[in-house]
Amino acid sequence: MPLRQIMLVADLSSGRMRREEIPPELLRAYLGGRGLGVRLLRGRHTLSPFDPEMPVVFAVGPLCGTPAPTSARLSVVSRSPLTGTVYDCSAGGRFAWRLRATGLIAILVEGRSPRPVVLAITPAGQELLPADGLWTKDVGATVGALSGRGSVAAIGPAGENGVLFSNIMMGEGNAVGRGGLGAVLGRKNLKAVTVDGNLPVPVADRGRFDRARADVMRLFRASPVIFGELGISEYGTPALVDLMRQRRMAPTENFRRTVFEDSSAYSGPAIRAAYGAKKVGCYGCPIQCKKSGADGRHLPEYETVSHFGALNGITDLHAIVRSNDACNGLGMDTISAAATLSAWGEARGRFPSPEEIGALLSDIAHRRGEGNLLAEGSRRVAEALGKPGLSMSVKSLELPAYDPRGAYGMALAYATSNRGGCHLRAYPISHEILRKPVASDRFSFSGKARMIKIAEDTNAAVDSLVACKFAFFGASLEEYAELLSGVTGDPRSPQGLKEIGERIWLTERFYNARNGFTRADDDLPARFFTEAGTSGEGIDVPPIDRARFGEELTRYYRIRGLRDDGSFPDDGFLGRQP
Amino acid sequence: MRSLMAKYAGKLHRDRSIARGRVGIAAQDDVMLSDGPPDLSRLAADVLSRLSCLGVVAASPSLPFAEYLLPRANAGAEAIVPLDTETRTFLHDIPILRREKLAGDPAAAIAALLSNRKGVIAEGVGIVASGPVTLEQAYIHYSSVFHACYVKYLLDALRDGFLLPGETEAFRNFRETFLRPLTAEGLSFRAGPLDDPEEVLSEIRAAGRYTVERGLVDSFFGNISYRVGGTIFISQTAASLDELAGCVDPVPTDNRSTTGITASSELLAHRRIYEATGARAILHGHPKFAVAMSMLCEKKDCPVKDCWRDCPDIRMLGDTPVVAGEIGAGGLAARVPPVIRGPGKAIVYGHGVFAIGRDGFGEAFRSMVGVENRCRDEYFRRLDARMRRTP
Ligand code: SF4
Repeated sequence: MPLRQIMLVADLSSGRMRREEIPPELLRAYLGGRGLGVRLLRGRHTLSPFDPEMPVVFAVGPLCGTPAPTSARLSVVSRSPLTGTVYDCSAGGRFAWRLRATGLIAILVEGRSPRPVVLAITPAGQELLPADGLWTKDVGATVGALSGRGSVAAIGPAGENGVLFSNIMMGEGNAVGRGGLGAVLGRKNLKAVTVDGNLPVPVADRGRFDRARADVMRLFRASPVIFGELGISEYGTPALVDLMRQRRMAPTENFRRTVFEDSSAYSGPAIRAAYGAKKVGCYGCPIQCKKSGADGRHLPEYETVSHFGALNGITDLHAIVRSNDACNGLGMDTISAAATLSAWGEARGRFPSPEEIGALLSDIAHRRGEGNLLAEGSRRVAEALGKPGLSMSVKSLELPAYDPRGAYGMALAYATSNRGGCHLRAYPISHEILRKPVASDRFSFSGKARMIKIAEDTNAAVDSLVACKFAFFGASLEEYAELLSGVTGDPRSPQGLKEIGERIWLTERFYNARNGFTRADDDLPARFFTEAGTSGEGIDVPPIDRARFGEELTRYYRIRGLRDDGSFPDDGFLGRQP
Repeated sequence: MRSLMAKYAGKLHRDRSIARGRVGIAAQDDVMLSDGPPDLSRLAADVLSRLSCLGVVAASPSLPFAEYLLPRANAGAEAIVPLDTETRTFLHDIPILRREKLAGDPAAAIAALLSNRKGVIAEGVGIVASGPVTLEQAYIHYSSVFHACYVKYLLDALRDGFLLPGETEAFRNFRETFLRPLTAEGLSFRAGPLDDPEEVLSEIRAAGRYTVERGLVDSFFGNISYRVGGTIFISQTAASLDELAGCVDPVPTDNRSTTGITASSELLAHRRIYEATGARAILHGHPKFAVAMSMLCEKKDCPVKDCWRDCPDIRMLGDTPVVAGEIGAGGLAARVPPVIRGPGKAIVYGHGVFAIGRDGFGEAFRSMVGVENRCRDEYFRRLDARMRRTP
């Protein structure tokens, strides 16, 4: 008798809540996590992100709650107020694991509460608690106040005030970041969700599962990026600082340059020396890539140190760590915050100093003074200042700390990403920079269209399982398909998972197309085609050849089965999907 | 793409893992490209068209070993399970397709198996391997399957003798014609110690290339390093030994930079070997007879099950110690350094040889050649003895 898979639907307008069974065929076709969330948006995908009826879906994957490595994660899916695209983000910590242990695999939140509330869930049931006393509180205080209720996902002042890049923060410091889903919860008057449970998750074929797990662990041990002495288990993602400097693709001063001479000030070893970084991470994950200081504070990720560092010309590690603390407390995305400040800095002729940044971040979260404009993200800021070219974003999402002039697959991946300028969709950094599973030529477009397509599909499946991208610096879908087969008893192949990923990816693109996105939106800022990066030490970083980029983009559309203008050949796509 | 297809076909020819001319390669971008003899190139393209992959290699191996493993497997077996490290870590097992399963639509049958694994053995066809991300990956997967079958067959033949029609002759041909003497003769190595980074890089490139050119290892299987003061110059992860230009990372020994995050997964082992021995050069590769011989253990009723990882013993193959150890962060870095100091060489169970050069690569190279030759001789000595016992 297969386990019933239950979703909680919470209508905040009426306060009504119900538990629904998710049909097994939907889970077979979409897995869970990102895929399930995207499917559940169907029919409401053209609503405005701030429309009360726009759902926000929290969904774990089929591996959550089992000892599958890196799988205590969930995806949060809705439509982004920053980009207008369909939007999902994968987050770890403990929340997903505890949500699964309440007996649920998903929560769908809709409507708008008349007053601030907290949604509290246990295996015994769920309730909406008044949260007037928590409103205006920062994330730390909110999590502290709710600490008796298990794991907490909360918004901070940024989400309450509609900052377009506000986060939902997990109590353990992990973020549902980038696209502004914190503001969507804020508009719904939902301050936090708490989950606490202890229900176990059965594994159908324990022998198969254990073999697959052992295979995964061997591959982790064989991966220098994961368990190598210089890898992310040791140094966290700031292990990339030195590498990006050496590859001359560290975005510096709003992407005017690609080398920041002083980046060693905030490299992995520098952070370890200054803060005595300890390993922490998501529940049950063997990698433990997160780092915390001796005082327990969460230390920043690579993208954060690089953007509060090089992108704004700042070398002061402590100021960078404080910026990270501030964003986490206010509930704000670090990449977009730093990139918006950088675009604004270039526009006014001066990047913000380390001393100014703290106050600016607080002003953004509270929409005070200039913060009110900065809260809109770099595209709107740059346009308001009459310099639209200074927003280094794709589909309004600020680019992270991998300069596309240094990796052409990354350039294409930024452009085609359904949620905008994001490194985590196709994640070609894996092969173009980290040589996993094999190296590809970063200064060539050859073959990249298909590589990006395959990787986007693969990662859509990964985000639906929901596993961590970092696991795939060692393992592959081959081993994760085995883990899934072991958990469900239903045999799955990596090829089958990629096909599911393709369905999810195309569904997202279809939603975006219905919301007006076209080929014109699959583009990079002009700077990358007209200005060179910082060449030197035998590495030439020329501008990207626009014609060649366009050619590869067209090739990509053809491989995807789209027209050369990126549109769908017919309107019936959704109707043909489960 | 065409040039890449030609490149990997060329490499397969040069390392003699395919029968002359018998490789089909397909790669797809927005269009399907394929090359090779019509049967294999069509098969590669047909298989590829059913997969979400960038490339497929379909080739007839130069040796019939993969083919011989099929009838030796149990009648109902759907895969063979070689136990060398390469297979254990990256392939898990190798699916097999018997002739009858290939009767209808062979490409569909092969693609169905490849949708789960990196390479398959198809009876009467050869080895078919896929490359999800790059064409090079399909080449690597082909090489991995070829390597695994080679090693497994050596062990199976030693254990069971020759069982199949024509096998004795084929094996004699392998022994007398296919195998060539391994030697370091005629190679020139720079005398160390080297201090100039440019010289070091050039010597690393040369030494890596020699290992492949001399048939000591196939290009993908190994890594190499040289230490200058506080820096280890080491080949990058997933780098081919014969193509190391631009693929060597300088890694400071005090970990003040993490640039070496792309260095070989054996960085820690190299570092510990340098600390234990004071050597300047390390050569690591997977020569096949050394891999096979390291997996032979005569101990009876041993309680250890995962010998490759857990065997606590130090065995000797001639004057070369053999230890267990998992690659990367898995114990090999702890087990090899204590045993390598005196003999200057060591074998890791199912994995390959580490050889050091106190000043330069010449000593390490000659040492690795010596180990492999010694393992080859010992293998044939045991095989001959076995044949004498049960002709
Ligand atoms: S690798 Fe890091 S981010 Fe990924 S699941 Fe593990 S601890 Fe979490």
